[in-house]
Amino acid sequence: MIHAVVADDEVLARQKLRQLLRDEQDIEIVGESATALETIELVRTVSPELLFLDIQMPGMDGFDVLGALTNQKETPAPQVIFTTAFDQYAVRAFEVNAVDYLLKPFTHERLRAAIQRIREQPETAPRDSSSENGSGQGPDGYTNRIVFKSRGRILFLSVSDIRWIGAEGNYVRLSTATENHLLRETMAHVEERLDPRDFLRVHRSFIVNLKYVKEVRRETDGDSVVIMDNGQKVALGRSFRSSLKLQLNRL
Amino acid sequence: MKDQMRGNAQSRTWIEAPRKQSMLMHPIIFIAAFTLLGTLFAAQEWHHAHKSGFEIGAGIIFGSWGLQYFLWGVISWLLWWRFRPFIQNASAVRILTIVVPLSFVTYFFEDMIWVVFFPDVPMNRAPMPYWERVSYNYWGDLTESMCIFWGAFFFFRGMGYYHQFREKETAAAQLEVQLANAKIAALRMQLNPHFLFNTMNSISSLMRDDPDAADSMLEQLSSLLRMTLERRDIQLIPLHEEIEFTETYLAMQDRRYMGRVTRTLSVDPDLYDALVPAMILQPIIENAYVHGLSKLDRGGELSIEVRQEGQQVNALITNSGVGLKARPGALPNGYGVGLANVTNRLRLHYGNDCTFSIREVDGLCVQVSIAFPVELAKNSGESETRFGA
Repeated sequence: MIHAVVADDEVLARQKLRQLLRDEQDIEIVGESATALETIELVRTVSPELLFLDIQMPGMDGFDVLGALTNQKETPAPQVIFTTAFDQYAVRAFEVNAVDYLLKPFTHERLRAAIQRIREQPETAPRDSSSENGSGQGPDGYTNRIVFKSRGRILFLSVSDIRWIGAEGNYVRLSTATENHLLRETMAHVEERLDPRDFLRVHRSFIVNLKYVKEVRRETDGDSVVIMDNGQKVALGRSFRSSLKLQLNRL
Repeated sequence: MKDQMRGNAQSRTWIEAPRKQSMLMHPIIFIAAFTLLGTLFAAQEWHHAHKSGFEIGAGIIFGSWGLQYFLWGVISWLLWWRFRPFIQNASAVRILTIVVPLSFVTYFFEDMIWVVFFPDVPMNRAPMPYWERVSYNYWGDLTESMCIFWGAFFFFRGMGYYHQFREKETAAAQLEVQLANAKIAALRMQLNPHFLFNTMNSISSLMRDDPDAADSMLEQLSSLLRMTLERRDIQLIPLHEEIEFTETYLAMQDRRYMGRVTRTLSVDPDLYDALVPAMILQPIIENAYVHGLSKLDRGGELSIEVRQEGQQVNALITNSGVGLKARPGALPNGYGVGLANVTNRLRLHYGNDCTFSIREVDGLCVQVSIAFPVELAKNSGESETRFGA
C-alpha cells in the first residue's frame, strides 16, 4: 500500500485527486493539507510514501515545503508529484527529483501514468532530493529521463519509454508507444546521453531502443529495416547492420 | 536608413532614432568638396589661359581659387554648424533683413583674409595698399561670391526640408506598423473566442456521457491556451510550434469526428525553424472541417503538407467533401470570415509577396494553398530540454 498526502490550497483540486485516486487500489490518502506549514506538519506526522504537492500555496511555495522536508532527518522525504497550473517550474521540479509534474487540468489517464511511475520506483531508490548524483541520471552517468515541453504540456519522459529517435533537420523526433515529440536537439547530443546497452544507432538518422526491436528484415528492394514491436519500421543503414546483429545476439 | 526603418518597424516600443547627419556635412568632407570645386574652376581657367597664350603661373591660379573656395567652405560650414535651425526655418522677412546683410558682411570677412595671402593680386598693376586691394577684389568678385553664399544657404535650407520630409515619412511608416499590429491583434481575437466557445460546447456535451473524453478535451484545450498565451503578442512563430498547435487542434477534431476522418500531416524538416504567422493554419483546417469533412458520414480525408518551393513556404491543405459549388453564402471576397482573416494576415505580414488560393481538385476535394517567403527564426537555438542532471 502506498500512503499519500494531498497538498493543495483549493478544495476542488483536492477533491478531484481524491475522486480519481479512489480507482487506484494500492493508493490510500492518509491526509490533506491546504497550506505549506500544514503540509510539513502532516508529512512529519504520517510520513507518507507519496506527496501530491501544489506549487502555489499560502505561506511558502511547494519547493520550500520540499526543502524543509528533506532537511530534517527523522522521517524520510516522500516521493513528490507536483500539481500546478503553472508550467514554468518544470525544470526546477525535475531537478529536485520530482517523480512527475501534472499541469492542471490533467486527465485521469495522465494521473495514472504518474502513479505507475511511483509504483515502478525501486523501494531502495534514494529518497532525498538533494542527492549529489543529480536527478534523472543513472549510476553510470547515462540519462534515464528527460524533461521537455511538447504541445503545451510538460513531460518527464523515461528514456525506457522511447521506441526510436529520428533526426529531422535541426530537430530530433522521439517516438513512444503513443506519441511523437519533436525536440530541438542533435542526434549526437542525444546519443551520447543514452546508455549504449539499450540504444543503438541503426542509421545516420535513427536510433532504436533495442528492447522494442522485434526483428530485422530485408525488404524486396534490398534495403534493410528494423521492425519494432508495434510494427513500425525504421531504416537500417548498411554500415550499422553488423553492430545491430551483434547487439541482438547478446540480448 | 532603410535598415534603420526596418529595425524600428519590428520593435514594438518605437523610439525616435537620434537625428542622423548626412556624411556630407562632416566638416572635412564638406570643406574638401568646396576646395575641390575651386580647384576645378582653377583648372579650367589655367587651361583657358594656356590656350590663349597668356603666361600665368599655375601656383597663383590654383592657390587663389583653392583658397577662396576653401575659405567659403570653412565659413559656410561654421554658419551651418552654428545657425542651422535659423537657416532652415528663417522667414522671408528675416532672410531679407538679416541674411542679405549677413551675406555682404561674410563676403567682406572672407575677402579680408584672402587678400592677405595674395598681395600681388591684382597683377599687372602698381602695388596697392591692403584696404585698397580689399575693396578692389570685393567689387570684382561680388557676383561669384554671392552665388557661393546663396548657393550654400539654399542647399542648407533644402537639407532641412529633406529632413522634415524623411521624419514625416518615418512617422507615417511607424503609424502603419502600429495599425497593422492592432489589426492583427483584432483578427486573432476574432479567431480565438469562436474556436474557444465551440470547444467548450463540445466539452459540455461530452461531460455527461463520456467524462473521460470531456476530461481529455479539456486538457487539450488547456494545452492550446497555454501555447497561445505563452507567445503573447508575438506574430511570427517557428513552424514547428505552429505544427504542435495544429497537432493538438487536430487531436481535438479527431474526438469530435470520431473516426470519420483520416488525416495526414507532412512537414519538410528543414522548415521547422521557418517563421510563420501564428495560428495561420487553424482557420484553414477549421474551414476544411466545417465546409467539407463535416458533410461526409465517413471516409473523409484531410491532408496537410508544408514544403519549400524556391524561396517560399508553401502550405497545402486538402480535404474531401462536397467541392466548392455547394457552398452557399460565400462572402464576396471569397470564402468566409476565417479564410478572409488568413488572407488579410498574410497581406499585412508579407505585402504582395504571398499567395492564397482555393480550388477544387479531383471533383469534390478542396485545396487551399498559401505561400509566403522563407524566413528562418534566428534565436531558436535555445533548448528547453533537460537530460538528467
